[in-house]
Amino acid sequence: MAAAVKNAKAIDIASSRRAQTASNAVRLTVTYVFLFVMAVIVIFPFYWMVISSLKTFDEYRENVPTLWPRTIVFENFGTAFEKASLVDLFLHTLYVGVVSTVLSLIVTVLSAFAFSRLEFKGKNALFGLLMATMMVPGELYTITNYLTVAGKLPFFDEAVSWLDITNTFAVLIVPMLVSVYYIYLLRQTFLQIPNELYLAAKVDGTSDFKYLWKVMLPLSVSTVITITILKMMGAWNSYIWPRLVANDDAHKLITNGLRGASFVTETNETNYPAQMAAVFIVSIPLFLVFVFLRKYIMRGVSRSGIKG
Amino acid sequence: MKKVLAIVLAVACLLPCLLPCLLLAGCGGQKEGIEVVFYHTMGANLRAVLQKYIAEFNKVHPEITIVESSIGGYDDVRDQVITELQSGKQPALAYCYPDHVATYLRSRKVVDLNTYINDPDVGLTAEQIADFIPGYYEEGTLFGDTSKMYTLPFSKSTEVMYYNKTFFEANGLSVPDHWFSTGAGDTTSMEYVVSRIKEIEPTSIPLGYDSEANWFITMTEQLKTPYTAAVDTVEERFLFDNDQNYEFCSKIREWYQKGWMTTQAIYKGYTSGLFTNTKPNEEGKVIHSYISIGSSAGATYQCPAANDDGTYSFEVGIAEIPQADASNKKVISQGPSVCMLQQKNKAVNDAAWLFLKYLLTSPEFEAEFSMTSGYVPVLRSTFSLDAYKEFLSGANYDKTGIAALSAKICMEQENSYFTSPAFVGSSDARDQVGELLVAFISAPADSTESSLKQLFKDAYNRCVSLNK
Amino acid sequence: MTDKRNNPKAWLYLLPAVILLLIFSFYPLINTFRMAFLNGYNGLAIIGGEKFTFGVENFRTVINNVDFKLYLRNTVLLCVLTVPISTVLALLIAVALNSIKPLQKVFQTVFFLPYVTNSIAIGMVFNAMFTQVGVGDLVQTYGIINNIIGLFGAEPINFVNTGSSWGANMFVVCTYIVWHALPFKILVLLGGLQNVNKQYYEAAKIDATSKTRTFFRITVPLVSPMLAYVVITSFIGGFKEYSSIVGIFGESMGPAGSSGQMNTIVGYVYNMLPKSNLGNASAASLILFGIILVVTAINGYVSKKKVHY
Repeated sequence: MAAAVKNAKAIDIASSRRAQTASNAVRLTVTYVFLFVMAVIVIFPFYWMVISSLKTFDEYRENVPTLWPRTIVFENFGTAFEKASLVDLFLHTLYVGVVSTVLSLIVTVLSAFAFSRLEFKGKNALFGLLMATMMVPGELYTITNYLTVAGKLPFFDEAVSWLDITNTFAVLIVPMLVSVYYIYLLRQTFLQIPNELYLAAKVDGTSDFKYLWKVMLPLSVSTVITITILKMMGAWNSYIWPRLVANDDAHKLITNGLRGASFVTETNETNYPAQMAAVFIVSIPLFLVFVFLRKYIMRGVSRSGIKG
Repeated sequence: MKKVLAIVLAVACLLPCLLPCLLLAGCGGQKEGIEVVFYHTMGANLRAVLQKYIAEFNKVHPEITIVESSIGGYDDVRDQVITELQSGKQPALAYCYPDHVATYLRSRKVVDLNTYINDPDVGLTAEQIADFIPGYYEEGTLFGDTSKMYTLPFSKSTEVMYYNKTFFEANGLSVPDHWFSTGAGDTTSMEYVVSRIKEIEPTSIPLGYDSEANWFITMTEQLKTPYTAAVDTVEERFLFDNDQNYEFCSKIREWYQKGWMTTQAIYKGYTSGLFTNTKPNEEGKVIHSYISIGSSAGATYQCPAANDDGTYSFEVGIAEIPQADASNKKVISQGPSVCMLQQKNKAVNDAAWLFLKYLLTSPEFEAEFSMTSGYVPVLRSTFSLDAYKEFLSGANYDKTGIAALSAKICMEQENSYFTSPAFVGSSDARDQVGELLVAFISAPADSTESSLKQLFKDAYNRCVSLNK
Repeated sequence: MTDKRNNPKAWLYLLPAVILLLIFSFYPLINTFRMAFLNGYNGLAIIGGEKFTFGVENFRTVINNVDFKLYLRNTVLLCVLTVPISTVLALLIAVALNSIKPLQKVFQTVFFLPYVTNSIAIGMVFNAMFTQVGVGDLVQTYGIINNIIGLFGAEPINFVNTGSSWGANMFVVCTYIVWHALPFKILVLLGGLQNVNKQYYEAAKIDATSKTRTFFRITVPLVSPMLAYVVITSFIGGFKEYSSIVGIFGESMGPAGSSGQMNTIVGYVYNMLPKSNLGNASAASLILFGIILVVTAINGYVSKKKVHY
């Protein structure tokens, strides 16, 4: 491969004209300017979150928002720690996030494999049905699912108490394990992997599972990471469901804890600076995970040599 | 190797998450004693007050565990309760607004508190009932059948008028006590005062009104014009589309067009922020209002920030809001009540009643709650407590005393409180008239009468449409 | 191509997903159908012992709602306007990001940051950007965007305040949605690009294929599975738009004085929930479901023809 690159470069140089170099420079400049502008736009809310956490409540409440805090205060961070039991919230969220991500990945990988590589009766119908479940506004699911986890089954007048799993970690994890979005995403990636590899493996007598583990997964690492990030973020941002099914202090998750009354002033106004400070604190670990995982997304490149 | 590791990891992760669920399912609800769940919206400071009184309560009733849970905002409490009602897991006690209760009633799970209040053993004495400020207490009976009592008042607030005392005194203005001018020489009408302020300072918006919906509803009460009615037929519930209401809206529209007033939704910033503003805008002008009508519980926001030397840029005065008819004084009653929801085990309801009674007949609790929150007590006896008297004596025109000042004003109007009838859809009416007022006063200057009247019809049609 | 025999082992792979889906997705879906066809179904009334008859009354109520046409129009337009814009932008950013060497890591990190930004912050930013504080000529601030427009000498535009036009509102909501959708799409498409074999590009270089041609002939087809995914799922998501509008206007779903001006079908569903009017909510959901189903079928048909696996 390195040789090919060298070769290509040699040819490139040989046929290069000055005009082309110039246009390349322009193209590169345009690319950087474009990326820079988009980056500024995209990062603005993050910036806002940070500066809001440094403002006093009075400054935040002013009718003209300031782009940079007039007086920088750090007391919001103190308030954040004091008002919300951040450590507990964080540990709960981490637990739910990690467990549900791992389990969800297993379920997703297995299903995506079946949908992309295996043939079985009713495959298209089932996949269509899966897609259909994405098309109904989620709130109606929430209501029915709430009744299910509370043990309130159809045709029963009373809730069955031993089926009631509200206020457990399981109820925060299990109903959310299957995401059709992720199955679909991974299926798309799997479909990109040439089928010849699979057939060759079959001839070698490699089992489906081994093929999935040894070939498909390493080739799809960037998608798997994407799903991991999204799933983790899901745990970090989920709000409506946790509030409904596990609102006790032993299971409360971060967004729930932060949005709850902890940051409400006595006149029922949200103390946004303190809330932003709390949100900022809990985002840091996630951000670090992110920076760390970025390398692995890039790793997809070096492995792609197997293809073609 | 990797595979084994993965499986081990998966199992390790699965176990802890499934175990507690199995264990809990096995022994769910086996706790000793009685557990009373109470949903509210209190922030940390108020929760501390509540917890203190729960501890006191537990000295008398150690067998009762009160599980208080702060859910978020009022609407969050409503949504949570509605969903839980459907699975039979509803809390025993919940913060509520009247229209929430009207919705809950369809489940037939709201407990008629009269069954407890009139109980000879655990009920309320005549003195205890009389101690409640009547306007607040009667709210609980406004659900169509006055023989049933569905809520008890918890803490209340109303609207008061904040004005820039320094400015009023410097310019010899009187504090307005009625809305519309009765003719030349009437210097105490809001109409006159705001017109004067605008003359004195053209770059001001003399009056800022916090809530359009409150304004509309309060006007209908003060003018005794139809607003809503709690009846069965959907079409007959919404009565606000009439000529009298059109008339007062037209007057307010004139004020708006002359630049005399604004509301929070139109201004798009806190009207209290407008009132206390000292910062120039992008063109270098400092835009003020000199009168601000808002919740009595938000008094501290109506006070300007202290200067570096501890002085204030102006003194804040507080007064009752203007009236339309001195013989029919009306101010809106706001703030949470508590309702009780039926539990599977009646003993839980009985315990919930004991707690509710303990809390809401305790002037000490009301006093402490009020001093922490800015809401006003619902018990008259609170006002004769030394601690509360001391709090009120600190009433002052600055940030530390303004809450007490506003509490005082509220107390003085205790006979004027009103609550609109509550029914399923009463909050739609509230939302729609607020919208209506905004749309009406801000409609283009060349709008025809029929297009303005159409706004009333639209609001009515929406209300009906939402409740079919 | 694939192993054509029916492979019952496939069901083993699907077992965990299918069991969970049966309980937590298919059952709620069926329940939605049931509630939609029970006239006036109310979740609280059922507890109170009321009985409901079978029929299509709920659908009639929804369609006869005075604002239903507006909601439908908003729903469709939001989707049709935002999906192509955000997809194209995301693709351009992903390609640009993939084509540079210096600063690539920095830019990648920056484009990831929105993920760790709480959604509340995004709503706050939008308020600061588009909201004018003040009335008439007494204005405290015109908002950041109007200040920028003002630098070029233009008159401030009423974006979200009382009296703002439907078009201006639409513009703000679309901007918000595109903005909100970008990071996810960039991530997915970048992931797709990273999987593309560099050798294709080298071959193109040797052939001295123009960049534009390379983009349309190599890049787009190679990421087409990811593009198909992004387009199909964002159409589905676009039809269910709700939280972005709440983020800008609050639950009134429109500027003060014209609340509901930006409301969508899902917004209507949410309006029905505080009264537990699950019958109407379900009926509206099913109407939307029908629309999405048709659009997704068309999308699926097109992508089958165009996507290269």
